Amino acid sequence: MSFLLPCPNCGERSVYEFRFGGEVKERPPPDAPDDAWPRYSYATANVAGVQQEWWYHTMGCCQWFVAQRNTLTNEVLETALPGAAP
Amino acid sequence: MLRPYPGGEKNDGFIVHSLGPQRMNNQPNTTIYFNGQPTAAQPGDTVASALYRAGQRIFSRSFKYHRPRGLLCAAGRCPNCLVNVDGTPNVRACTEPARAGMQVRHQNASPSLERDWLAVAERFDWLMPVGFYYKTFTHPAAWRFVEPLIRRVAGLGEVADHPPPASDEAPDYEHRYLHTDVAVIGGGPAGIAAAIAAAQQGRRVTLVDDQPQLGGHLRYAGVSADGAAAAETVQELTARLESLPNVQVLTSATCLGLYEGHMLGIVQQDRAPQSPVRERLVQLRAAEVVVATGAYETPLVFEHNDLPGVMLSSAVLRLVNMHSIKPGEQAVVVGDGARTAPIVACLQAAGTRVAAVVPTAAVIAARGTKSVTGINTTAQDIPCDLIVVCGDQVPDAGLVMQAGGSVKWDEQRAAYVVESCPDHVTAVGDVTGSTVDAPAAASAGHSAARQKRSFVCLCEDVTTKDIDAAIAEGFDQIETLKRYTTVTMGPCQGKMCQLASIAVCAQRTGKTIGQTGRTTSRPPTAPVSLGALAGARHHPVKRTPMHHKHDELGCVWMDMSDWQRPLYYGAPDAKQQAVEAEYWAVRKRVGVIDLSTLGKLEVRGADAPKLLDKVYTNRLSDLRVGASRYSVICDDAGIILDDGTISRLATDRFFITTTTGNIEFVQQWLEWWLVATDWRVHITNVTGGLAAVNVAGPRARDTLAKLTERNLGRRAFRYMRCRRAEVAGVPSIMLRIGFVGETGWELHFPAEYGEYLWDAILDAGQEFDIRPFGVEAQRLLRLEKRHLIVGVDTDATSNVLEADMAWVAKLDKDDFIGKAATLQAQQRDRREQLVGFEMRDEVVPEDGTALVLDGRPVGRVTSARYSPVNEKAVGLAWVSHELATDGQTLTMPVRGRLARAQIVADPFYDPAGKKLRA
Repeated sequence: MSFLLPCPNCGERSVYEFRFGGEVKERPPPDAPDDAWPRYSYATANVAGVQQEWWYHTMGCCQWFVAQRNTLTNEVLETALPGAAP
Repeated sequence: MLRPYPGGEKNDGFIVHSLGPQRMNNQPNTTIYFNGQPTAAQPGDTVASALYRAGQRIFSRSFKYHRPRGLLCAAGRCPNCLVNVDGTPNVRACTEPARAGMQVRHQNASPSLERDWLAVAERFDWLMPVGFYYKTFTHPAAWRFVEPLIRRVAGLGEVADHPPPASDEAPDYEHRYLHTDVAVIGGGPAGIAAAIAAAQQGRRVTLVDDQPQLGGHLRYAGVSADGAAAAETVQELTARLESLPNVQVLTSATCLGLYEGHMLGIVQQDRAPQSPVRERLVQLRAAEVVVATGAYETPLVFEHNDLPGVMLSSAVLRLVNMHSIKPGEQAVVVGDGARTAPIVACLQAAGTRVAAVVPTAAVIAARGTKSVTGINTTAQDIPCDLIVVCGDQVPDAGLVMQAGGSVKWDEQRAAYVVESCPDHVTAVGDVTGSTVDAPAAASAGHSAARQKRSFVCLCEDVTTKDIDAAIAEGFDQIETLKRYTTVTMGPCQGKMCQLASIAVCAQRTGKTIGQTGRTTSRPPTAPVSLGALAGARHHPVKRTPMHHKHDELGCVWMDMSDWQRPLYYGAPDAKQQAVEAEYWAVRKRVGVIDLSTLGKLEVRGADAPKLLDKVYTNRLSDLRVGASRYSVICDDAGIILDDGTISRLATDRFFITTTTGNIEFVQQWLEWWLVATDWRVHITNVTGGLAAVNVAGPRARDTLAKLTERNLGRRAFRYMRCRRAEVAGVPSIMLRIGFVGETGWELHFPAEYGEYLWDAILDAGQEFDIRPFGVEAQRLLRLEKRHLIVGVDTDATSNVLEADMAWVAKLDKDDFIGKAATLQAQQRDRREQLVGFEMRDEVVPEDGTALVLDGRPVGRVTSARYSPVNEKAVGLAWVSHELATDGQTLTMPVRGRLARAQIVADPFYDPAGKKLRA
């Protein structure tokens, strides 16, 4: 794995500067049915294609951001700070 | 620092432009030692060329049969000349420059290369047919007997038992990171031309070549394609290259792989004589990659084709043209068409008589035992001491394929040609396959041989007979054939044998080479030392502000994540006495411990209480200013991630401690739950800025009272309260908390006062016989209080209910991370429970000891220590839930015997917590 990831603050950097934060998921509301929680904690969509995922720029600006990455090619289509994301 | 693109200048010994061999001519001869014997080396010599000139013909013994092997490729591609150089095994003698005084030793032969008793292995070849490890010695008893023998016989170099100690001044290996617009791999004529063309467009170019000098095959070819003298062509090209300031050249640098994002992994040998660095791994990021790796020559397959004296034509050109060596007395050239003429001319110029030129198809066998004495052909037998083989030209297209390009077999040319390259990767020159000239009899020549000792794979001693046997057993697909016979899987990584093995497989199965397909090309393209991958022997550590004080006090250090902490103060062989003395100081008088390694966070802002209520299980929004509270952090599966204290310094200001080494995680975790909210919270990591100590014991109050004007009285400064105060004039945060179970204060203060305040506390406590204590005493003290350590007494499956901390999860809060999971866990049967136990027998179990019941495992000890105050061992353990009742007897194996313990519900010391609050 040696692709480049454009940090919204710092620009294009080696992926080794970042910590992967997993797929973007919706946290269930507090009154969600019981089976929603294990699914949220343990199940992943494991998309073969473009997925939304969290990254944290450990060796840079120390910010969480969202990236759209193709899991097959590691092509990063877009990155954005949360809130700024479309 | 590395200056960008210095244009021909030397630059901290790293980037060196090369100007061809003339640079070396004014250097004197040197002496190297081979198995202790001095051997003269001329300027520009490799280890192999110096030894060959001195008459050495056997360079190694083969992997399986211990057959003698000599120089074959002389280009670092075959396995035949691996030697030990100055203690480093598996160095390729033919590419290793000779340096004065270097100690070269042979490998894998005993007692000598010439007389190797292990060669007896060849007589037992019937015991070791292809895939023998699946067939023979399958009985466990037989294998136990045979395995050490096989390990002794088979093998390459040996690693020294004791590697030389690491030295700060002399890093053996290092890593570098470079960026460029265009990376050109291969410094032959095509690569240099590509580099010049790109540079003239104003782009930054990095040219990477695996040889000490640029020029590629022109360095040894004699004449270049257009008929000009090769040396002049190289000079002209390198001169043009040098005139371009935006070209950077890495020589002696092998490209191991082309990875995604156009990242090139390159290992560069350092040729500077004074350089302490042996090898460096360069990670080169390029916008575009030009692969100009050229083509290399591979051997032909015939009987005894592995004898010393059978040499590739390119190796002969190298020995003659680069090292001025006469390669033999009488040679036979094997080859077809126009390729043989320049070889014959070269040999004759070097003074070697050419007895005959034999077409490939006419070769039957090489003759000789330890080296070539002649050749049998269909026409005649010819005596000779050198058989020069014009082998197949194989484009070195591994990088193209790694990049995602494709290569196909061209029947017309009898060569693999590059079919396509991905975007931003191009192939130029011989690597494309389009320049392969005279097709050697790739299929015909290889397949003719059916005898016993016609080697396809020199690394692994695989013969045509082995391949026949494997195909007969059904391994007739190239990928399965490879795995079963291990052909192409040796140190040369298939360079010498891939085409031959495919050709033999194709011929035997009645397919074409194109139909047979080829095995996958993966990085690394060349052998790489583990040292180069690992980089400098460098272990970063974090030291607390009081580090040198602990050193002065004579502590024994322990590593805790990146930190170094005192384990105890005393002699290394007197741990128990030291720990007990520290323990009693805290229980009876006063002790002080350095807690600077704790993670420390400041969380500020109007919405800070909201964030902390969400992330921590305990309720923190109602924490009064000046109060502290313990809590854990869980994830949404209810698993305990961290614990610590949260102190409210002001309405909108909280001070948080986390477990040592977990600070980055906790900070990121808090920030994570903050993203996409509009909460006004700011989180600052203050770990490095603050030193911390815990002063604890019955006389802690008396000690600190001497240093601060803050009232430390029982009512004025209660348990679980926090205050700001000046201690010995140092502005501090004082937390009255009791991890070790005594009256005590945790002090957090600016790190620059670390040593000063440490000394001030020790001075103030002197009259109470204060003692510094280390991590071991702290672990014992807290264990008696049954305070758990996250990550020691909990693991990745522990929730608050099973860890016996239900009180810390406020389930009446609207929400917190892990609330739903904790509620669900309440409904379910528990699996395990964390319990305290005391030993009934006079033994101390080790941490991790299994608990057993009727021979079944029912739990495990997480912490156990001898408790001086209880005069028996106590501990914490996870046990099956049905056993977790007060008074239950547990058994565990301790030093070979079953020892008894009993579950105890209460803490082992001061169960009511009176001392803590005193």
